[in-house]
Amino acid sequence: METIDIPIYSLLLVFLMLVVPVMLSRIYRLGLSKPLLSSAARMTIQLVLIGVFLKYLFLWNNAIINFLWLTVMILVAVFSAIRGLTMKPGKILVPVFISFALATLTVILYINMFIIRLDYVFDARYLIVLGGMLLGNSLRGNIVGIDTFYKSLRKDAKKYQFVLSLGASHQEATRPYMKESIRLALKPTIASMATIGIVALPGMMTGVILGGASPEVAIKYQIMIMISIVVSTIISVLLTIVMTSRVCFSKYGILSD
Amino acid sequence: MITFENIDLIFDDKKIFSDFSLEIAQGEKVVFLGKSGLGKSSLFALLLGFVRPQRGRVLFDGGPVDEHTVWNVRQKISFVDQDVSIGDHKVSEWFAFVAEIKANQSLDFSLDKIKELMDFFELSRDLLNKDISDLSGGERQRVAIIVSVMLKRDVFLLDEITSALDKNLKKKAADFYIGRKDWTVVSISHDAVWLDNPHVKVFDLEKKAWKQ
Repeated sequence: METIDIPIYSLLLVFLMLVVPVMLSRIYRLGLSKPLLSSAARMTIQLVLIGVFLKYLFLWNNAIINFLWLTVMILVAVFSAIRGLTMKPGKILVPVFISFALATLTVILYINMFIIRLDYVFDARYLIVLGGMLLGNSLRGNIVGIDTFYKSLRKDAKKYQFVLSLGASHQEATRPYMKESIRLALKPTIASMATIGIVALPGMMTGVILGGASPEVAIKYQIMIMISIVVSTIISVLLTIVMTSRVCFSKYGILSD
Repeated sequence: MITFENIDLIFDDKKIFSDFSLEIAQGEKVVFLGKSGLGKSSLFALLLGFVRPQRGRVLFDGGPVDEHTVWNVRQKISFVDQDVSIGDHKVSEWFAFVAEIKANQSLDFSLDKIKELMDFFELSRDLLNKDISDLSGGERQRVAIIVSVMLKRDVFLLDEITSALDKNLKKKAADFYIGRKDWTVVSISHDAVWLDNPHVKVFDLEKKAWKQ
C-alpha cells in the first residue's frame, strides 16, 4: 500500500480552505488575515525548500552530508534555546551545542543500531528524520529546563549563597535547582505520554500509518520515539546545566553575569 | 583571624571601599555600625568569597581567601543572614537539609540537641512542624541562630539577627555569643545589647575607624 499522492492542483484546494478564516476575520474584524496568510506562505516556502533538499539528501545518502545537515539542525536548535537566556550567547554556545549534540546523537545511533537495526546507521531517512523529531520535541523542554535553572538561581542568589556558607559544595548547593529544572522540563512530555493515543494521534504515528504501514508498526515507532524524546531531553538538560555551569560560575561558585 | 588588606570594592557601579583595611583578632567581639549602603554586609560577602575585591586581599586564619581556600573558609564560618528566606519547608526539614550537607554530617543534629536549643531560646517545640514562611520574624531569627550554633564553628558573621526579638531575648542572644571566649563574633546590628556591651568593640563604617 502506497501513500496517495496529492496532485499540485489539489494542493491549491487546500489553500482554498483559508478563504473561510479570511472571510470570518473580515466579518468579525479579527485582524487575523495578515498574520495567517503570511505564516502560511512562510511555511509553504520553507517546506518546499526542505522537500527539495531532503529529496537530494535521500538520493545522495552520504554519511558526511547527512552529519553536516544534522549539525546544522542542532545548531539551529541551540540558537533558539539560548536566545531567551540572560547569559552571553558567545559564552554558552559551545557547551550547549556539545550537550545537545551528545544527547541527540547517542539516542539516534542507539535506535538505528539496536532497535531498527539498520545496515547503514547513517541513513538519511532515519538519521535526519528521527534527529529532527528528537530535536524538535525536546527543544521546548530544554529551553524550560535551562531557563528555570539559571533564573531561579539568580532569584535565589541570597539563599544560594547562604547554602554555600553552610559548607555545601557547588554540586550540593545547585542540586535543588537542577531537580526542579528537570522536573519542569519534562512535565509536558510526561503529561502527553500519559494521554497519548486517546486524546490525539501523534504526528509520528499518523505519518507512519499514512506511509502505508500497519497500526502495529505505527505504535511501535511511536513508543520508540516517545521514550527517545524523554531520554534525550533528560540527557540534554542535565548535560547543558553541567557544561554551562563550568563557564557560568566563578571558581568561587558564584553565578557570573 | 580576619584581615581586610587595602581593599578596593566597586559594587553596582558604586565605590564602596577604597584602600580599606581592618583586622579582627581571634576571640574578639565586633559590631559593624553604620547606615545601609556603607558596605557592612559587603565585608561579610568578601570574607565568604561571594564578591571579589577589585584590589587588595582578604585573609582568614592567616591565609588568603582565594578560589581554592574559600570552600574551606565557608566551612569554618557560621553566617547568619536575616534576609534569607530559606524556602517553603517545614522547620524540621530545614534542620535536616543543613545536616545532610556533607561537610556537616559528623555534627550532632539530633532532635534532643535541637529541642534543647529551642528551649533555651524560648521557642515552642511544635514550631518544628510549621512552615518557615508561617513563622514570625523573631521566630525565624531564633531558628537561624540555632542553626548557626549547631554548626559548631567558632567564627560567626551575624547580620541583624536580633532586630525582631523582644528586649529579653535580644539580651539573651547577644550574651550567648559574647559570653564565649573562644568565639570570634562579628555582628551587624543597631541594638544596644551589642553596642553597649563592654566586651564588644564597635567599628564605625562611616568613619572607617574603631569607636573609642
